[in-house]
Amino acid sequence: MSWASDYLDEARAAIVGAGSLQDLEQLRVGYLGRKSPLTLRLREAAQLEIEERAELNRTKIHLEDLVKTARRELERVAIERVYADSAVDVTLPGDPVPRGRLHLLTQIRREIEDIFLGMGYEVFEGDEVVDAWSNFDALTTDAGHPSRSQNDTFYLSEDVLLRTHTSPDQIRLMEARTPPIYAIMPGRVYRRDTPDATHSPTFLQVEALVVDRGITLADLKGTVLHFFRQLFGPAREVRMRTSFFPFTEPSVEFDVTCFICDAQGCPVCKHSGWIEMGGAGWVDPDVFRNVGVDPDEWSGFAFGLGIERIAMLRHGLPDLRLFWENDLRVLEQF
Amino acid sequence: MKVPVSWLREYVSFDLPLEELGRRLVFTSCEVDRIVPRGVPDVDGNLDRFRVGRVLEAVKHPNADRLQLCRVDVGEGDARQVVCGGWNFGAGATVAVALPGARLANGLELEQRKVRGELSDGMILAEDEIDLGTDHTGIMLLDSQLEPGTPLGDVLPLSDDVLEIETGYNRPDLTSVYGIAREVSALLDVDLAPPPGRDPERAGDEPVDVRVEDLERCPRYIGRLFRSVAVGESPPWLKARLLGAGMRPISNVVDVTNYVMLAFGSPLHAFDHARLAEGRIVVRRARDGERIRTLDGTERSLTPEELVIADAERPVAVAGIMGGEETEVSAETETVLLEAANFEQLGVLRSGERLRVRSEAQTRWEKGVAPELAEQAAVYATQLLVELAGARWTGDADVKGAFPERPVVRLRPERAEQVVGIPIPADEQRRRLMRLGFEVSDDWNVLVPAWRASDVRREIDLVEEVARFRLEEVPPTMPERTAMFGRLTHEQRLRRAVSDVLAGCGFVEAYTYSLQPSDPDPSALVLPVPLSEQQRVLRTTMLFGLVRAAQHNVDVGNEDVALFELAHVYLPTDGALPLEPWRLGGIARGGFFRVKGVVEQVFSMLKEEPRFTAAAHPFMASPACASVQGGWVAQLDPRLLEGEWAAFELDLAELFAQVPERILYDDVITFPSVKEDLAFVVDEAVPAGELIAAARDAAGPELREMRVFDVYRGEQVGPGKKSVAFSVVFQSPERTLADDDAAVLRGRIVTTLRERLGAELRG
Ligand SMILES: [Zn+2]
Repeated sequence: MSWASDYLDEARAAIVGAGSLQDLEQLRVGYLGRKSPLTLRLREAAQLEIEERAELNRTKIHLEDLVKTARRELERVAIERVYADSAVDVTLPGDPVPRGRLHLLTQIRREIEDIFLGMGYEVFEGDEVVDAWSNFDALTTDAGHPSRSQNDTFYLSEDVLLRTHTSPDQIRLMEARTPPIYAIMPGRVYRRDTPDATHSPTFLQVEALVVDRGITLADLKGTVLHFFRQLFGPAREVRMRTSFFPFTEPSVEFDVTCFICDAQGCPVCKHSGWIEMGGAGWVDPDVFRNVGVDPDEWSGFAFGLGIERIAMLRHGLPDLRLFWENDLRVLEQF
Repeated sequence: MKVPVSWLREYVSFDLPLEELGRRLVFTSCEVDRIVPRGVPDVDGNLDRFRVGRVLEAVKHPNADRLQLCRVDVGEGDARQVVCGGWNFGAGATVAVALPGARLANGLELEQRKVRGELSDGMILAEDEIDLGTDHTGIMLLDSQLEPGTPLGDVLPLSDDVLEIETGYNRPDLTSVYGIAREVSALLDVDLAPPPGRDPERAGDEPVDVRVEDLERCPRYIGRLFRSVAVGESPPWLKARLLGAGMRPISNVVDVTNYVMLAFGSPLHAFDHARLAEGRIVVRRARDGERIRTLDGTERSLTPEELVIADAERPVAVAGIMGGEETEVSAETETVLLEAANFEQLGVLRSGERLRVRSEAQTRWEKGVAPELAEQAAVYATQLLVELAGARWTGDADVKGAFPERPVVRLRPERAEQVVGIPIPADEQRRRLMRLGFEVSDDWNVLVPAWRASDVRREIDLVEEVARFRLEEVPPTMPERTAMFGRLTHEQRLRRAVSDVLAGCGFVEAYTYSLQPSDPDPSALVLPVPLSEQQRVLRTTMLFGLVRAAQHNVDVGNEDVALFELAHVYLPTDGALPLEPWRLGGIARGGFFRVKGVVEQVFSMLKEEPRFTAAAHPFMASPACASVQGGWVAQLDPRLLEGEWAAFELDLAELFAQVPERILYDDVITFPSVKEDLAFVVDEAVPAGELIAAARDAAGPELREMRVFDVYRGEQVGPGKKSVAFSVVFQSPERTLADDDAAVLRGRIVTTLRERLGAELRG
């Protein structure tokens, strides 16, 4: 055994056993300091064999590493002790950060927009105060249709009214563009309904319009199906029933299988397994003619939905008026 | 419309279960709300417990003055003892009897029991107990020819099902039992019975004085005269049908008019001929000031807008709406004038709106009834009046104008597949159309039946007629795309971003009404006939809806209210239509600067520098108000909303106009900036914003940033003065600014602020 290895063994034992940073510092000075036996011996280096000098240098480096390691360990233990003593109650609440919200109707509207954007549709928003032409005439709604009545519609004058559906946007859009058209049209609509749990004189609709070559009712069904599967889950099915709207021919109503009971029957679907969602149809060729689109070349479908209805169904709100009261206790749930 | 199924089966026969028929009609024809049983429940042999009985003996109940004790033969050999409350019969009467265990129309189960000490082993029935009428004043008396013990169901319509359907605006033909039968016939491809009714022999040739002055609103008026009419009760089958269809039986004459209306969808009316002045019918416009008391007991004043049926002197009915009380058929009536007319739909619709009334007849006229049906209705009603009221038909008038033309439409059978997406064989299309009453020529020219003439005018309408029977089978497919659009516009993306910023700042989005009770702009658009005073004016500002929403939250005890809304306002223009710019409005509890900070966030997101200036609020008094690009920020007058509140409103088009379509990289790395703090002492009246604006003028684009971090007032600066401290950043995109360069910029700022605003740099 050499002097150096004995020195290393002794110093290592001492350093590993150091109980505090002060002890360690004393040991470092003792074994590695300017007056330590190792330093003194190295000073005599010139008189030493090359091999021994190399061994002493290795020992020095080794001891320096040991001190560094021991110091890190002692520091870690010390800081943990400090932290442990400070005892923060981590179950106390975080600092308050005010958090706003988008209205539930906006959240749903965006979701609908995003589904259709994903299908390659644009979002078109037209005016709410419109003339009778775009709300009724261009949509081939004849003079006797009940929706034209003063009892159903808010008129500003004989020819100007608050739109009763988003369909005037179809007219605006087709007047402004050439087909193909793939668009949805969300927005406020107005009907002379006395407010109650399911009626409001103002509510939100979203309407879809497709104008392209060779569009069929099957395309309508496929599109509606995809939309409802996105919105209500992949197991949904849809069905189309005959109906009447002035601006589509054939017209249909579409239902979706109840997502609450999985079509087994529950109060929401009136135990039928189906929920009525909205109206749709193949665009009436006369509507195309009214906006200068050639019905022999182009065909299309349209469908419309109530946004509040979707929100109420999906989130279980019992009353449509809740959306317009803006009570934070309601809005902040979503 | 309620359709008694026994009635439907009279016109079309079908084997499939009723539920399945209902399910399929939902796809092809109309909403079927539900199928409800009516009358006596037809379950567990219940009908066997109803029999014809003959009263052998009827005496007063020994212990009750109001009851009779009867012995009734119900064909069992031994007679049964029955206690009965009716007195309209005696021994020998033929009656309807329910035996113990029978369940009545109201669901009650009959038991053998003692009534005042005497056994009652059954019940003698009044019509209401088996849903054959509403009368409970006496028991039903049956034809004395009937054998005791005959099952009651063989002689009375004890039990039925009713289809409750909803019909669309475009299908007047579905407001009739025969019309529904026609749908069933087309749906199931089975025969439809010919329309019921055959004219009996006419028993006279009296003139009937019918004049029609307005053939446009009344294109047809058939008036038929009946003498020796015995007004009385309708037979049970007729009452049962009417009750099943939801109408109250009144008298045989009135019931016949209602029954035929339900059968064909073309309403009729019966007048007491003796009460018509000069026995005359004039269909004309009402004269100003004329009045009529209608059958609902309401006194109505009329205007020349109203079409009326008048006699020689006065209106006796409002055309298509309701008859008058004075000429109503009553028990004394002997001569009846039957009206089977046609009234044009719009006229009836408008009259109904003006008079605020609804009747069964009106709901049919409003949908447009074919004038051809008036004749069918007249014939069937004539047959029934002769059969059921013993009437003699003695006179006939038929006044006609022009009827709507029945369209002839060419159909290309291959068109259906192009619309529906599945092939529909040509022969199926032909058969379906013919079942629906269309006449289809060999080369596919299709003549539309009168009852669909207003609704089916074009090829696409015929396609719908065949397509609707196949909707259940349409598969889901997707359009083949040749063009894509799937992206929001720049403006739409910015609107989403603005909302997100507001939500991020702790504001909750509100939806308030476009229609408000009032508006500060006197030219704002006002609804001439509002639904309520609360929703009357189209708003030109977002503020008041938000104030109301905030107030509501305060009222229900919510704290920390901060709301925003992004929606339209409606600005009047010289033209007919308003402008509808998008506005962002916000309101929050707290001071001016809370809300201003949020507005600054919006500008920051939009990469715009807001320029606030002190300004009077555009439409209200405000303790602190600033204008900024596109709008305003203001502290609210506490009279508007109690406590400390502030609000803002910004026009988004104005804001978005300045937003760059794309953001270009700004080199802030290559040449370091120089930062320093500068404080100026200035008159209290000088706004900080003006100091900054002047500094920008002086230093140019190398003044990268200048923001206030402190305002000090006190002894050190003297009265009427304030010290405003700014942190200032100088930076050039082209060179490193040396200390000298910064000193030059600072010097320019100091000089300009001193000269323009009297500001002194603080040492
Ligand atoms: Zn359900």
